[in-house]
Amino acid sequence: MQGLAVALLVCLALLVLSKRLAFPPIPFYIVAGLVLGELGLGIVAADEISAFLTRIGLLFLLFSMGLQLRPDQIRTRSTSFATAGIIDGAVNIPLGLLGALALGIPFYEAVLIAAAFYISSSAMAVASLIENKKLFLAEAETVVWLMVFEDIILVLFVALFSAQGQGAAYLFARTAAVIAACFFAVRFARKPLISFLSREDELPLVFSFSAVIVTAWLAGMLGVPETLLVIALGSALSQTVPVVLEAQIHPFRDVFLIVFFVFFGISIDFSGIPPLPALAGLAVLALLSKLLSGILIGRIVHRRAVSGVEIWSHTAARGEFSIALAAVFGSAFVSGTVAALVVITSLGGALLGKYGFALFRLRALRNLAESHRLGRP
Amino acid sequence: MAFRSVALPGIGTKYELETDNGDTLAIVYLQNGRIQLYSSPSSGETCAVELTNPESRRLGSVLSGAIMEAEDEGVEIAFSALADLRISVHTYPVSRTIEGMSIAKLAIRSRTGASVIAVSRGAKHMINPHPEFVFETGDTVVVIGEADQLKTFERTILEK
Repeated sequence: MQGLAVALLVCLALLVLSKRLAFPPIPFYIVAGLVLGELGLGIVAADEISAFLTRIGLLFLLFSMGLQLRPDQIRTRSTSFATAGIIDGAVNIPLGLLGALALGIPFYEAVLIAAAFYISSSAMAVASLIENKKLFLAEAETVVWLMVFEDIILVLFVALFSAQGQGAAYLFARTAAVIAACFFAVRFARKPLISFLSREDELPLVFSFSAVIVTAWLAGMLGVPETLLVIALGSALSQTVPVVLEAQIHPFRDVFLIVFFVFFGISIDFSGIPPLPALAGLAVLALLSKLLSGILIGRIVHRRAVSGVEIWSHTAARGEFSIALAAVFGSAFVSGTVAALVVITSLGGALLGKYGFALFRLRALRNLAESHRLGRP
Repeated sequence: MAFRSVALPGIGTKYELETDNGDTLAIVYLQNGRIQLYSSPSSGETCAVELTNPESRRLGSVLSGAIMEAEDEGVEIAFSALADLRISVHTYPVSRTIEGMSIAKLAIRSRTGASVIAVSRGAKHMINPHPEFVFETGDTVVVIGEADQLKTFERTILEK
């Protein structure tokens, strides 16, 4: 309990600091984990309690991600949603893979790093759009729906990595059947669920919490990946009263995720990972590849490359999902690489979100200077 | 003139309105209960403000014109701890009939029960004006009392 108490107190202080600086807290937690863990001061070590809380944090993160995957909303999205998503994936996944392979990382780990490299942080994108008051822009819509698209791809990655080394086809079939049953059950019980979740007492709270835990337990019983089943549960329940579920889950998720991030930092082992300059190079590549995909999306979806810079400034940060992938499927060695990726891109992304417009202004000024030089008005 | 609504997963819902002269307004209901209001003139930079829920309701009632008009508005205050206490505060433009007269001379408190708690003259505001304060045309007075006392004030002092 002592380790957890120390970790939480440190994180509380860091959270206050991150709010004051208006920076995302995730990189602070990871660095705190590094400092507190064996690699640093050696004050806090992972134990059974922290492992359990970390797992719960991850489940709640994935459940609330599932709540954003609303089949009804996704179906009515225009083609620009898919266009932006496909460009984003087609640019960032191969570049991430190439970057990881160039660092001499073995293929399986490289694919994992490519996935972590590709997935932007939804939490940071949302916070950046709200705090920098950019929701007015058409690009904001593109950004949030891009996050939804990435979540869908994330589900595919999770399925892919879960099937590693087992009877993959059988596992896929079994998982698909369980997920279908989950959607069917929610559909069947939709009306009673809605009236249940609309109650004013503590029932919706206890229901939301139990639903996630019971689903994880069921997944274990049925031998399907709990990560996938919890996402599916979220997506299925998004057809009831997602606002209520989101509100109930929110406090659990926020607290357990802090534990998740800090113990992720504690678990990192730097032995055998690429040297720091190489990691920094990968992180810079990650920033640049999102710029490239952003500009392409801006050009094609918004018909303006500068829109791409705006999109870039909100999606450059990698965060919770990259770490989740590394934590669930990666070795300590992958974790170290992903941690560096997340810390550097999230701090870079936060700066871009705040000062991205200044960049744009600089560009506009330069364009103006250029047109003067060329003698055009 | 129709609102366009857009779902923003993870954020909330955005409502956009394009006005007849080409300006755009957007209102975003955030999941945390706050509201961001954006106004974007067809030429010029976009401005944004973030409102709390009560602020946005107050703004809404000003826009709908349901409760108040700029010159003559009133609010009734109820306290949750004192359930049956209702205090009304009302503003009135000063009429010709009381121009040049002081609060004491009009004997507002003794004749109506209501009290003048503030007078606004141009850009200046006088809170708790002295009994010898003399009204001028163009002043706006803020009067506090029970609803009945305010009615009496309107009738006997302003001679409405």
